[in-house]
This record gives sequence, C-alpha cells and structure tokens, in this order.
Amino acid sequence: MILLTVVTGGFLVSLVRAARRNWQIVVPDLPLPWLIVTASIPHLIAFNLTATNKLLSDREAAVALMISLSLLVVFAWSNRRITGFPLLGLGLALNLLVIAANGGLMPITPQAVQAILPHAAPGSWQVGQRLGYSKDIVLLLSQTRLYFLSDCLLLPSWIPYRVAFSAGDILIALGSVWTLWATGPEKKIDSK
Amino acid sequence: MNPIVSQIKWMAVKIQPQQVRLTWMAISLALFVIGAGAPASGGGVGE
Repeated sequence: MILLTVVTGGFLVSLVRAARRNWQIVVPDLPLPWLIVTASIPHLIAFNLTATNKLLSDREAAVALMISLSLLVVFAWSNRRITGFPLLGLGLALNLLVIAANGGLMPITPQAVQAILPHAAPGSWQVGQRLGYSKDIVLLLSQTRLYFLSDCLLLPSWIPYRVAFSAGDILIALGSVWTLWATGPEKKIDSK
Repeated sequence: MNPIVSQIKWMAVKIQPQQVRLTWMAISLALFVIGAGAPASGGGVGE
C-alpha cells in the first residue's frame, strides 16, 4: 500500500505540475506493455487475491513469485532507456537476488514481524513458515542469506503505519517517482 | 443524440492523449511495484 501511495502521489504531482506550468506532458512509449500485466498475474493469484492465495502451498507461492519477478526483469530491461527505469530495475534485481537466495520468498526476521504485528495472536506465525499469505517467510537471522537486502528495514515508530521493507523497495519507490517526474515537456532546440 | 454517447464523445475530445499515456504509465508502475517491491505488512496473519 505504501508503494502504491508513492506511485499515486508521483502521478498526481506530475499532473498538477503540468497543469500549473501549462506543459504538454511527454510520456515515452513503454515497450512490451502486455508484459507488465502478464507479470502481475502470478503475483496477484498467489498473494493479493483472497479467493486464490489460500489455495497455493508455500512452494507454489514461491514459484509464482519467481515467475512474476523474472517477467518483471524482462519488462524493466526492455524499458531501460526510459528515465527512472534503471533505478527500478536495480531495486527489482536486489529483491530478486535475496528472494532467490532464500528459497523463492522474501525473508523477514521474527524481530521485524514482532515490530509490524505486535498484537498478532500466539501461533499465528512461526519461524520457517510463510508470514500469512504474503511473499515473506519468517527466518532467523542466522538462516537468512543476504540479510541486508531482505525486509529488514522498518519505519520510525512515530509513523503509525507498520511495514517492513527492503533496500530494493526503496530503489523501486525512488525509480517510480523519478519516472513520473521526468514526464515533462519536450526540450526545445534553440534556433539561434 | 443519446446524452451518454455525447458525454463520452465530449470526454474523448477533452482528454489529451498524453494524459492517457501518463495514466497507463502510472498503472504500469503500480503493477510493477506490487509485483517487485510490496513491503511486508503481515497481511493474512491473525491479530
């Protein structure tokens, strides 16, 4: 939700900026536009849709996540010339790296789970198991490969919204805002 | 003319193509961030 908020904010800021400065927005074509929708389908089925996410085992969910991320890598690579997409691709690559290194799911430590779910019912999550129906798997620090790339970052406690995120998530957020911010007017060539 | 059809035609004229492309880019980025980098919030875990 927080990343969607960032993208939505970037979109609205771009529209308002263009309207206030009377700019003609220039938006580049996105190669392989069908691929972004295709890449989203396994992820939506495995994690987002309540009607289907309960039907998949942890192994099947991990396979779905790897398929989705692999297709997103192709999408990011095909759009690498668009401003902001290299940063998006780098964030994706970091997430893919840590997920692949940990059996196909994003690792999160028990301490981070306690921080984001302080009132979770006893037994509702366990080390070695997927966290609910999410893409995360709860692993001890000693069990986690590339811990610094995992969902180990937390928002300050004074922010009421509790999430754990990764370094890759930060780059993805920055890349998406940069991509939308870059939709400015065409540069005019000085005829003098 | 059907008022709904005329309204749709009016909107089609008013909405700039680049705004449509910007909207599609925002949707694409939203799908991208959902797939690539959704932070963990503990969805589906009983509290």
